[in-house]
Amino acid sequence: MGIGAYLALASVLFGIGAVGFLTRRNMLIQLMSIELMLNSANVLLLAFNRAYPGNHDGQVFAFFVIAVAAAEAAVGLAIVIAYYRVRKTIETDRATLLRY
Amino acid sequence: MHEDASQQLALLLIILFPLAGAVVNGLFGRRLPRSLVGFIGVGSVTVSFILSITAFAELFALRGEGVHEAVLTYQFYEWFSLKLPSGAEVAINVRFLMDSLSGVMTLIVTGVGGLIHLYSVGYMSDDDGYPRFFSYLNLFMASMLILVLGSSLPVMFVGWEGVGLCSYLLIGYWYENRDYASAGRKAFVANRVGDFGVLIGMFILVGVVGSFEFADINAAAAQGYFRKDFMMWPFGVVPSIATVACLFLFLGCTGKSAQIPLYVWLPDAMAGPTPVSALIHAATMVTAGVYLCCRLSPLFITSDVAMSVIAVTGTLTALLAATIAVTQREMKKILAYSTVSQLGFMFAAVGVGYFAAGFFHVFTHAFFKACLFLGAGSVMHAVHAHGDADIFKLGGLKKQLPTTRWTFLVSCLAIAGVPLTSGFFSKDEILLGATAQIFRSDDSLMVAVGWFTLIGLTLAAVMTAFYMFRLYFLTFTGEYRSAGESSDGHGYDAHPHESPASMKIPLIFLGLGAIFAGYLGMPHITPFVGTHLPSWWGHWMEASVAGHALPESMNTINIASGLALAAMAIGIGSAWVLYRNKSKDVLAEKVPARLYALVFDKWRVDELYDTVIIGPIKQVATLVGRIDMTFVDALLTRLPSFNAREVGRFLSRMQNGVVHTYGMVLVIGVVSVMAMFWTPRAHVEGALEGETLQLVAAPGFGYEYRWDGDSDGEFESGWSTKRIYAPTYGPEDVRKIFLYVRSPRTGASDHYSLTEQWTRLDLARLDAAWRRTQGSLPIVARLEDGKVQLRMNGAQVFGRTDTPDVIELPTGRGTGIENVLMVPRATVEATVEVRNAFGNVSTASREMTLPDGYLPEQHALLLDATKEGSR
Repeated sequence: MGIGAYLALASVLFGIGAVGFLTRRNMLIQLMSIELMLNSANVLLLAFNRAYPGNHDGQVFAFFVIAVAAAEAAVGLAIVIAYYRVRKTIETDRATLLRY
Repeated sequence: MHEDASQQLALLLIILFPLAGAVVNGLFGRRLPRSLVGFIGVGSVTVSFILSITAFAELFALRGEGVHEAVLTYQFYEWFSLKLPSGAEVAINVRFLMDSLSGVMTLIVTGVGGLIHLYSVGYMSDDDGYPRFFSYLNLFMASMLILVLGSSLPVMFVGWEGVGLCSYLLIGYWYENRDYASAGRKAFVANRVGDFGVLIGMFILVGVVGSFEFADINAAAAQGYFRKDFMMWPFGVVPSIATVACLFLFLGCTGKSAQIPLYVWLPDAMAGPTPVSALIHAATMVTAGVYLCCRLSPLFITSDVAMSVIAVTGTLTALLAATIAVTQREMKKILAYSTVSQLGFMFAAVGVGYFAAGFFHVFTHAFFKACLFLGAGSVMHAVHAHGDADIFKLGGLKKQLPTTRWTFLVSCLAIAGVPLTSGFFSKDEILLGATAQIFRSDDSLMVAVGWFTLIGLTLAAVMTAFYMFRLYFLTFTGEYRSAGESSDGHGYDAHPHESPASMKIPLIFLGLGAIFAGYLGMPHITPFVGTHLPSWWGHWMEASVAGHALPESMNTINIASGLALAAMAIGIGSAWVLYRNKSKDVLAEKVPARLYALVFDKWRVDELYDTVIIGPIKQVATLVGRIDMTFVDALLTRLPSFNAREVGRFLSRMQNGVVHTYGMVLVIGVVSVMAMFWTPRAHVEGALEGETLQLVAAPGFGYEYRWDGDSDGEFESGWSTKRIYAPTYGPEDVRKIFLYVRSPRTGASDHYSLTEQWTRLDLARLDAAWRRTQGSLPIVARLEDGKVQLRMNGAQVFGRTDTPDVIELPTGRGTGIENVLMVPRATVEATVEVRNAFGNVSTASREMTLPDGYLPEQHALLLDATKEGSR
């Protein structure tokens, strides 16, 4: 299987994540969309590492991404909870205090 | 002129001491004890006075050794230099000079100034601004000394402006009072009008003489430099440039020395403290105009017209101010108009050519007028009058103020011209000068001016004696008219008291001067008696001041003295009859009330100026102000601020707080940046690197280039990252040949693209002369086998006599055809292809003109060969 299929898969995953992040109002869904985009990058990293197997930078970097994504999810969920306590909702379009 | 080689440091120190006093008192005066402030103020001037005496003694000694034109100089430093239109370089030196004229003036300024400083210690003792006052006063002294000692016009002008500034500061010294502050502004503005005249006069003089030094200007005037024709915008050729220069300088003098038409500021200047009136507005600054005339007397005396204008103006001013002084009620007002009138006397003397006599009056006037002002100040101090004292509320003060009374009386006698007082000698000499002009001149204009001056000044002298003794009698004789009054500010103090010693001492000294100063300038020949006396003044002054010799004829002398004595006697006598021991204004009852009111209102000259000059200026200013507000402000201020505000409002709306919007903008941004880098940017330019043409493509990240230098559709080079490419061109690479045509006469140029067809060159468009010389004969050009052919149809070819029908131009060399330069130039087309990291490709090509003589050898040969073949 050529690298093209992996590229297509990653593009589709990234597109779904991006569109999901931009269109959905639910914070949890948005966090999931971000995960999706991060993982599309992981797919690309691994695919290129497989295609150019001279070193393992791609694989190592994928682990970094997973670790950072875990930390990001922890912080993100904490923000969601804090926000819920204030607003009694997790709809992002209610979070408009910081504006002109 | 004799130059003393040694530097006279004293001249600099004379100026620096008061300047240092001004700085110390101005910066630290508030923190110093009052006694020290006074000590610095008086002490600095005293030191300056002592230095003046030593310098003057040295000058006197030089004269005694027989050096006739003795001067002391001090060259401080070169201030700046400027280039005249003629190309000459004029260095402007800060250089001080003491000759017989400026020496005497320095003594007057420092001597009388020192006494007035001493007087101020007592007079200003209760004032809050004590240090400020002494700082200004010292600064004035320094400026006045720069004015007097400056050896050239610009240095003098620095002092001239400096005293104007100090005058403004001191008139408005009590600036909390609106009227006083506006009196200061009035003085400043009137002086500015005059200063403009001085500047123009200065520029004319430097234009004619090429130097600002008084000595050079005077020497040039004596040599007749000013009789040359002179171009002056906007008048054209001026017949006598001396007249123009002198009139402009005199305009400055009318401002500084309060003559018609700019005298109006001086009476208002009495708003300042009395010592200021005495020092600046009586003894020293106002005489600066007379001083300037004397300084440039060799120049002034060359212009009869200017001299006549000065004489008439002086006489008119003397008369006008004297009439006003007769009616005024306030001590300082009367003295102010008296000063204007006496300055008129001085200018009249200058105008009839007796500069030394005019300056002698400056000298004597400094004593008695300073004494009068200080006496008036002493009276005001005694009765606690503020601003000015109404003489009809005073009276009988001779009992309470004996010192003030005696010094005041002596000064009144002097100004009235009672024999053997100083004013007698100086005024006598002025009248003598006017009389002498009548007898001396055969020019009818000059004789008329002489008559006018003589009669006018005699009348003014009558009035002088009259108003001075009216002032004296009403103030010091009779009963004190404010006796029952309270001292609550409305009336005057019921119990006047004599002034402290610091005020009395200057009065006594000045009073002595008012009597004895005149003996320096006793007439050479005594009137009526005919005794010959030594006239030190005239002898001393002739070294630095020009002027006519005083007449020797007994008739002339007797007429002048007789008139002066009669004027004095009539004036004093009528004042005695009308006002001695009286308390009312008797004169007002004897003349028509309307006339009296008109004169009392100062002939309503201020109102005339308000209507004729100030009103229209204000209207124009209002109009311009309105234009500024409605047009300029709207266009330049409100429109941009509106734009900024609206743009800001729009941009702030975009900060709506919704995360999705921000995310969307971010995505749009990322996509835009990617789109920008998606295709490479292709751009090519030509640059000359020495003799070779280089093609340079625009840079970009990860770009690769390949080149087609001659645009034959084939790329000569492969892909590489080099963005500079220098191809070599052969004849087959040339795309087009242009003929560049230029007229060296008009600088206009044009170019034609040549083909196999004949193209008409429209040369008449470049140079109208071609239309005339070539008429309808067209010039055409074409390309034949890569060579340029020209058909002139009979036009003459530059530098040749045989005119062939067709000529060829070698590429890269200009050919002149009667005022038209033709250069054929070849163009090539260069193409670059750019590839970026995405693998996208862009192309750019550009037509480029090869520089002169660029075409390679073989192409030029080809052209030459064709040319030879056709011959």
